[in-house]
Amino acid sequence: MKRLLSFAIRVPVLAALVTIVSVSMIPANGLRLDVKEHTLSNGLKILMVQKPGVPRVVCHIYFKVGSINEKPGITGLAHLHEHMMFKGTEMMGVTDFKADSAIDKKIDALIGQIYREKYWKADGGDKTKLDQWQKEYDELVKSEKKYIIKDDLWTLYMKNGGTALNASTGNENTGYYVTLPANKVELQMLLESDRMLNAYFREFYSEKDVVMEERRLSENRPGYLFGEQVDAAFYTASPYHWDVIGWMDDLRKVTKADLIEFHNKYYVPNNAVAIYVGEFDPQKIILMAEKYFGRVPKGPDIEPIRTYVPAQGCEKRMYGEGPAPTSLQMRFHAPPDGHPDGPALAILADALGTGGGMGGPGGPRGGFRGGARDTGRLSKVLVRDKQMAVSASASSRGQWYVGAFQINATPRIDKKVQPEDLEKEIWVEIDKIKKEGVTADEIQKAKNRSEAMFIRSLASTMGLASRLGRAELNRGWRSVETDLEDLRKTTNDDIKRVAAKYLVKDNSLIAIYRRQMEF
Amino acid sequence: MKKTIILCLAVCLFMVGAGLGQAKKPSDLKFPPLKYEPPDPQDFRVVLADGLRAYVQEDHSLPLVNVSAITNFGSLYVPKGKQGLDGVLSDVLIKGGTKTREGTAIEERIDFLGGTLSFNVGERTSTLALSVLTKDLDEGLALFFDVLMNPEFREQPLALAKARLIERLRQANDQPSMVLSREYETLLYGEHPLTFQPTRKTYEAITAADLKDIHSRYFSPKNTFIAAAGDFAKADLQARINQVAANWTGSEVQPDTSSKDFPKPEPGVYFIQKKINQGYISLGHLGLEDTNPDYYAVQVMNFILGGGSFSSRITTKVRSDEGLSYNQGSRFSYRWGFPGTLSGYVQTKSSTVGYAISLILAEFDRIRKQPVSDAEMDTAVNYYLESFADNFQMPIMAMSNFANLEMVGKPMDYYKTYRDNIRAVTKARVQEVANRYIHPDQLAIMIVGDFDPCNKGGAQWAGPLEKLGRVHMIPLRDPMTGEVK
Repeated sequence: MKRLLSFAIRVPVLAALVTIVSVSMIPANGLRLDVKEHTLSNGLKILMVQKPGVPRVVCHIYFKVGSINEKPGITGLAHLHEHMMFKGTEMMGVTDFKADSAIDKKIDALIGQIYREKYWKADGGDKTKLDQWQKEYDELVKSEKKYIIKDDLWTLYMKNGGTALNASTGNENTGYYVTLPANKVELQMLLESDRMLNAYFREFYSEKDVVMEERRLSENRPGYLFGEQVDAAFYTASPYHWDVIGWMDDLRKVTKADLIEFHNKYYVPNNAVAIYVGEFDPQKIILMAEKYFGRVPKGPDIEPIRTYVPAQGCEKRMYGEGPAPTSLQMRFHAPPDGHPDGPALAILADALGTGGGMGGPGGPRGGFRGGARDTGRLSKVLVRDKQMAVSASASSRGQWYVGAFQINATPRIDKKVQPEDLEKEIWVEIDKIKKEGVTADEIQKAKNRSEAMFIRSLASTMGLASRLGRAELNRGWRSVETDLEDLRKTTNDDIKRVAAKYLVKDNSLIAIYRRQMEF
Repeated sequence: MKKTIILCLAVCLFMVGAGLGQAKKPSDLKFPPLKYEPPDPQDFRVVLADGLRAYVQEDHSLPLVNVSAITNFGSLYVPKGKQGLDGVLSDVLIKGGTKTREGTAIEERIDFLGGTLSFNVGERTSTLALSVLTKDLDEGLALFFDVLMNPEFREQPLALAKARLIERLRQANDQPSMVLSREYETLLYGEHPLTFQPTRKTYEAITAADLKDIHSRYFSPKNTFIAAAGDFAKADLQARINQVAANWTGSEVQPDTSSKDFPKPEPGVYFIQKKINQGYISLGHLGLEDTNPDYYAVQVMNFILGGGSFSSRITTKVRSDEGLSYNQGSRFSYRWGFPGTLSGYVQTKSSTVGYAISLILAEFDRIRKQPVSDAEMDTAVNYYLESFADNFQMPIMAMSNFANLEMVGKPMDYYKTYRDNIRAVTKARVQEVANRYIHPDQLAIMIVGDFDPCNKGGAQWAGPLEKLGRVHMIPLRDPMTGEVK
């Protein structure tokens, strides 16, 4: 689940990426990625893909940091930090840095006092004192306003024709995006290197309120809270346990000091990749990158996360009810991205039916999207032949340190079908696959689809930037190609083997949700 | 030592290569000039067999072909009593098969080739979209035109589609955001084909004969445009389409006859009760059509008011200054042949609902009463000018845009003149259109939320909501029956 900075401007590419992440791409018929690379002496990697035609350049920068780099007490900080990266620097967002930072320091000290009183004391602190301090805080914030230039960086990008302007935070990485006219890439280099060097986190406390509102929006999405608990139960030990948005308590109590420590540790050039896709001269990009990003000092090496997923050794079951559709979810722990079992699991998911479900209403007035993918086994059996389900689909998702194989189905309430009935049927299908595997046709189809999807993904400049940038941070951008070669070699024996290995009760979590409210 | 020399050389190279040194601040940057002229629709337009019009662009960068058929049919044309026919058609045009092929066979084949074939029905246009590798073009085109010309709406897939759509009706009131946008439009447009909702009964009433009737009336060469881009020779693609689409006949364009009179809802608060911890808010009234000459000035005005995300007044005030919300702003929506809507929007915790609304109202008022600043104008105008080339990033999108222009009857030099039209907008024009298209005395303020805490308000704005106008409670309907419980 990725969190975007802004709601209004969507990056549809990202959403699509989540579902197909593990169906890796085979370089098709000699079609290879033409990626130019350059590494600065401070460790920042520059990737470039030329796509002439329209004078625009997609400029993305990705940092290898996300919610898995947090720990209890600071959950949600990676995402909050991404919001704070738009609050300016010593140069941006402020008319008089000295005067502003003097007030800002007073604000931090006062809030420190308030938090100690309010959050450290069991009874919630002395109300009179807190009211007094709150008044002082409001005064200080008011006096700081005259020095603040609101959303300076954002406005400057827009004024220069920046589109697809956004940022997002995921479990493992954080990205900052803008697409600019081909003659203005230097602006991105200046602004992005400036905020790596000189980020200054003014307006921190009102931004915490914004993020808490963002969390409330999620909470009001039917089924969200259940999903959050399912994730937490599935990933008991590893830091995938909490959602990117973080727990509300932590959002309330997290401090500026936490933020600065996080920034200094992770926002270093040796933990990032900058990628450019569009119409440009690579030599010029390299020269500019040396000039701007070259001034950011290298940081210490960063230790990977420590806690992976321990063997479960028992079946988990969860039940919930509320105002969302009745549904069944079956989840199995699977290996992370890059594991040799990944391609077989991806083909298995494709045969069972990825991208299922019904096309949803696209907008307020219908705008129906037809053409849900109903060619998978689960859909054929449960939706079409037995008419027990509205939809049934599977996915295999390898993340950097964990993986999950997941089956989702929604029952036909009008036929009084229960989620448990679907579960039984799905186990029958799984057992069949453990014995017989899938058909040669299903394997070939999955391979063809991967190949075509790979080619199609090259058509979107933003999709390409996002895919290559993120891949680079984990196993290198070439993994996008080699994963596809691996997928090609996969046989039916591999599929039988991975089904038997991973799709077992002791490795599963079954989550059943029932609609409670009538409408 | 050796290292130092290389370093020096490298530094010299940078100086030569990049010309100037590193800029210290954005105002130091000097950008080389960039000239961009948009493609001319005329260069891509062709007329195919049976009078089928098309916009076609060769693009050999990848071994891939995209073809879309855009037909002038949408939910607006669905007769009363058959609401939901658009959704059913969406689902069964492909799945229902053709005279000679089962729907599943079509889906299986496309899937096996790694292609995609999808169909969407919108408000006034429907789009069938194909994407295949170059090597599969013949087979792809054959399936594409078979689906477009000869759908059969077989009984079993039709029954299944209806059952699934009826199941989905249960979700109609789940998402507060969907409830809000549906009810807001219903309030502003009243009882009208633009706002009709399907129920179990209307879905059940839809037959294969209805679908065939709709198909024969609307899906004809004269009522459809083709947009195509990809790895083919233009003449060759034309020949292939002429072959597969030969003998496609059908009726003339059907004019839209629906009413353009809309009720004026009484200004005030329209509240929909839902037990959630935020209020979801839209406030406004009907807007204008995008064929209106004021369109460009309204775009610039709304960018400044609340359409330019973080560079706009509502976001700065409500989100950035006050931390009241994650998502907020203002938008003018547009629809073909009808005025769109103006809505100020925000979602905020229950206790700040009234306060957030008051801030948006103040911005509505300010942009009417005071001229905008030079800096605001500069940002808004330059955004539209500098980002213009984005419209042509994907060839298939450009071709679809051209096809849409012609279908809707907009001037074909729309893109050519676009930047001049934006440049012509002045501060005075911005204020003029703010007064012409924002009417604080006519606002419907719709809120989906938990009434008591929203009504109570908080420290910055104490309730009741009556302070914003008379409060009308709008009951939720049972989506299965369309009736109020």
